[in-house]
Amino acid sequence: MTFFTVITRGLTRRPVRTGLTIVGIAIGIAAVVALVGISRGFETSWATGMKTRGTDLVVSNMGSALTPKPYPATVVDRITPLPHVAETCALLADLMSVETTDMMIVSGRQWGGFTWKNLHIIAGRMPHDAAERAVVLGQTAAEVLKKKVGDTLQLETEELPVVGIVDGGAIVENGSVILSLPLLQELTGNEGKINVIDLRVTPGTTKEELRQLCDQISALVPEARAVIAGEHVRDSQAYKIIRAMSWGTSLLAVLVGVLGVMNTMLMTVFERTQEICVLLAIGWKRSRIVRMILLESAMLGLIGGIGGVLIGIVGVKILVQTPAIRGLLEPDLNPQLLLSAVGIAVVVGVFSGLYPAWRSSRLTPSHALHG
Amino acid sequence: MNPIRLIFIITMALTFTTHAADSAPSADELAARLSALQQNGASYVRLKMEIKGAAKETLQLQIKQRRTKGATEVVYQVLFPKERKGESVLLRKIGNRAATGSTFTPPNTVRTIENLKEPLLGSDLSFEDVVENFFAWERQGIAGAEDVDGVRCQILESKPGKSDRSSYGSVRTWIDPRRVVPLRVEKYSASGQVLRRIDTTRVVADAGHPIPANLVVHGLRPDSSTELDGSRVRHDVTYTDHDFTVEALKDLAGPRGSPE
Repeated sequence: MTFFTVITRGLTRRPVRTGLTIVGIAIGIAAVVALVGISRGFETSWATGMKTRGTDLVVSNMGSALTPKPYPATVVDRITPLPHVAETCALLADLMSVETTDMMIVSGRQWGGFTWKNLHIIAGRMPHDAAERAVVLGQTAAEVLKKKVGDTLQLETEELPVVGIVDGGAIVENGSVILSLPLLQELTGNEGKINVIDLRVTPGTTKEELRQLCDQISALVPEARAVIAGEHVRDSQAYKIIRAMSWGTSLLAVLVGVLGVMNTMLMTVFERTQEICVLLAIGWKRSRIVRMILLESAMLGLIGGIGGVLIGIVGVKILVQTPAIRGLLEPDLNPQLLLSAVGIAVVVGVFSGLYPAWRSSRLTPSHALHG
Repeated sequence: MNPIRLIFIITMALTFTTHAADSAPSADELAARLSALQQNGASYVRLKMEIKGAAKETLQLQIKQRRTKGATEVVYQVLFPKERKGESVLLRKIGNRAATGSTFTPPNTVRTIENLKEPLLGSDLSFEDVVENFFAWERQGIAGAEDVDGVRCQILESKPGKSDRSSYGSVRTWIDPRRVVPLRVEKYSASGQVLRRIDTTRVVADAGHPIPANLVVHGLRPDSSTELDGSRVRHDVTYTDHDFTVEALKDLAGPRGSPE
């Protein structure tokens, strides 16, 4: 019988209890994967959207809301003459309840601006000009709203024809309702207002120059702040709250897992007092007993962690198909997160086994005689 | 225990209790604060209304309202679905007089509201519910304290005075005293039967003040509830008197050029 066999036998001695402990850890780790994956996905979805549009800098005022606050459209004129600024595109973007959906990105874009150019027509056509009262839908938005070219979409007070379905190359773009800026300004009563400026810099601009440009714009435009594309979401108060909440909830779930494993391992030590004492009597060192208990609990953590990652992945895939989230974000389940989750589970296992291992190391062969 | 220490602890406890009692607002103060928050001038609200009964129906609505101390005028208009688009309700309550109102159904049907207890646009709310300000009733009292979703709430009991007109016998509101937000409202008949229950399921900050954004309403109809999901509110918008006339019910345009 090898050392490893002793460990696996220890775990399979009470299969139901071991199974329930693994399920407990797995649920905790699934919560980590799901919540952190979704909150990170929120950031990466926007970052990918920006990259697809070819945006280098974003000028917006991200407060505590999920969408930036509006400011005067005249801000664009102050930014355009700055060095390294190649192109700007003003937008008014909002999260709205459209028809039967809970929330959808509605994006009013400056006509002719570069953010229209990354949209590839799948069906229908683009609006003829800024004055045409029509919308195009990202392909996911079209699916969620169950619309096709020729249908109409009720947006605020107006029923607008859907003239095209587009592929924007990123989930944020594909989940959007897209129309001309003046039309959305009119429909939402935000005439003369925008809340985002997408900015492209001249080729060859260094990262340092990009940061300097951000500082220049932020100083010039007190209504908003310039941030390198992708970072604007990470810096927003709302995202910070989401991130903190997701980690907070995950840690609570993990704590429950710690207690579960600790309980199981303590019970194991109590039940196997005689066996441990006999092992000590036949010459096992205390350090080997400690290692045995720690490896058993680490094993529980590892199996629970792998199970949790699988449950988390499946859970997230189901979650993002729900009407409330569909088209708004793509979960970020990168290998680093998944490996970290398994790592957390193993650490949880080892940590939970410390006290039971210490208890087992205090035993002496004479304890076996006491029953 | 040392008697001096005991006296000190009792004195501190009494002082703390007295201060705690002093800081809790009275029923009249609480009602006045909530009433003032309701009478917040002219505003425009966009919301989604989901009526969950035998059949589920989702409506997108806009609300134009002018609420002052002396008068309340509200217009509810359906923007979606297409087949109900344009259905509108006008309600007006001046001072202590009974509320009056009209409904408009496209293309041209105008009806005077005779019974304020009728459902608002088929929901679990009545016409009376959206125009009545029970925080302004004469009789207000604290009926205790209770937890709602883990938040300790004061229960404010409002009863209509002789000059107030309402079909309800009393209304109880569970108020989060820290945020001054109602987390639950129950409306009772004169015999004490619960006629309507409104639960706040989401609170958001609006211009620095917390307001209920999502509500779930349960009325007398079994297996039916209405969810209200507020998506946008604009304050200090400009309306004319014409906006609160039957003629204006035919116009779905929102207020223009107003601050967000």
